[in-house]
Amino acid sequence: MSLCIRSKFIRPNLIGSLFRYSTTQIEPVEQIDPVVADDEDILAKEAAIEAKRNISRLTPDHRNIVNGRRPYEEPKHIAHLTVKYNRKMYGKYGVASGVNPSICFPSKKDIEERLEYESVAYPFTIKQMIEMAEKRRKEQEQKIQQRDREVAAKFAKLEQWKKDLLDKVAKKAAEASAAKEKKERLVEEVRRHFGFKLDPRDERFQEMLAKREKEQKKLEKQARKEAKEKVMIAKLQQKNVELGDTKK
Amino acid sequence: MGSRQITEKSLSMLRSLPRISLGNIRDNPNCKKNPKRGRAQHGGDKHGAGNKGSGQRQNFMRLGYETGNNPFYLRVPQEHYYRGQHLRREYPPLSLHQLQNMIDKDRLDVNQPIDIASIVRSGIYNFFPDLKQFGVNLTDEGADIFVAKVNIEVQWASEQVIAAIEKNGGVITTAYYDPHSLLLLKNPKKFFESGQAIPRRMIPPPDAIEFYTSAKTRGYLADPEEISKERLKLSQKYGYSLPNIEKESNYEMLCEKKDPRQIFYGLEPGWVVNLKDECILKPKDQELLQFYNS
Repeated sequence: MSLCIRSKFIRPNLIGSLFRYSTTQIEPVEQIDPVVADDEDILAKEAAIEAKRNISRLTPDHRNIVNGRRPYEEPKHIAHLTVKYNRKMYGKYGVASGVNPSICFPSKKDIEERLEYESVAYPFTIKQMIEMAEKRRKEQEQKIQQRDREVAAKFAKLEQWKKDLLDKVAKKAAEASAAKEKKERLVEEVRRHFGFKLDPRDERFQEMLAKREKEQKKLEKQARKEAKEKVMIAKLQQKNVELGDTKK
Repeated sequence: MGSRQITEKSLSMLRSLPRISLGNIRDNPNCKKNPKRGRAQHGGDKHGAGNKGSGQRQNFMRLGYETGNNPFYLRVPQEHYYRGQHLRREYPPLSLHQLQNMIDKDRLDVNQPIDIASIVRSGIYNFFPDLKQFGVNLTDEGADIFVAKVNIEVQWASEQVIAAIEKNGGVITTAYYDPHSLLLLKNPKKFFESGQAIPRRMIPPPDAIEFYTSAKTRGYLADPEEISKERLKLSQKYGYSLPNIEKESNYEMLCEKKDPRQIFYGLEPGWVVNLKDECILKPKDQELLQFYNS
């Protein structure tokens, strides 16, 4: 009797093998449709066993990931409807993911957008860029050469400029020393005129000095005048000579 | 007599005492800090933070702030040698010595063309395209001991490096990759798993075009005829005999070169690589083909 209850839990083929040879009379087990029912039963039981074997306590989606299957068969989030997600599913799980691989290629719109982006981001072709670079290089070289030429020209004149400057300085110094000498001479003359040592700040001394200076100036003026006249005469003479030459 | 006894006694004491060691010496006075701060009349005053102000409130001023003075770090207004530094390309260096090391340790296969993907895969070298790093700068350190015969593609190389590689019968190319292509080369698996078609490699920017089109630097856009001339010139300059690679058994490998639009060896732009199914999907649509061949 107890066997009948057990037959629920033990598979029929096992029962058959275990209890095929018995001395006592067994109650006949009721026969159900042998092919279909058996298959369904077996599958259900296998599933039940599998379910019992799964002691991981993972959620179904995590379990899928661990076992190399895509986590969700049907979309559960708005992100699961995007092209990017579907491409990822195909990339990761292949044909088994059930995604049509044509989604991996860019659409017409994508291509258009990409081309538009490239036309902005890469405005020049390689050839244009090479030409530009060459031009830039040439300009730089020219600039350097120009500067070199300028420096060379200036360097050629440097010695002359140095000489000019030194001459100028020497001339100035000579002039200054000449003026000083003149002044000293005047003072000495005045002193000699008085015949004794007089303080240069003295009124008489100053008067005398002014007078002397005046005289000196007059002399100088005359000398200049004479020189001018001499030059004039020389010029006139030359002119005369020239005139005489032309007449001849 | 008394003092002598004391001396004797103290000496005998010294003899019986243990030697001085770390175990039996006393700490320096005041060397131990109390981990707890006092809260009572004198200990609990200001705890070293002072009276009033940011010291007491422990709201520390930002670094370099001088309480209203013109700060020192701003007093000199500019440092021109850093101008445009945030825009410049960086090429993290890899020396020939390191390269030889990788080859000797079988981290690199010399029977295949070497590019940045294989260099990164060796695990010795790494770079970050998002930090404006544009690939390998092969430096000449260890050029004297470099003996490998390789077909290598780097992003930057000096004349000495080119000479060192060509002396051994190798081939070197300098190639530009845009940051996106570099990301793909750095981690191809991640890209393939994203299920996208391989993009085209972009052209170099205007300030790098001279380098990548020059035969002297073995640019990938240079005329091959010019390159062979420059190889000869360089060998004459450095005084080595240039090996004839046309007679080599692996001549085809040494000649292998990527297309200027190609990112991976053996894979064309527009292809989809699926690692799970181990298959490659190639586009047939005319528009796609036109786009990827442009």
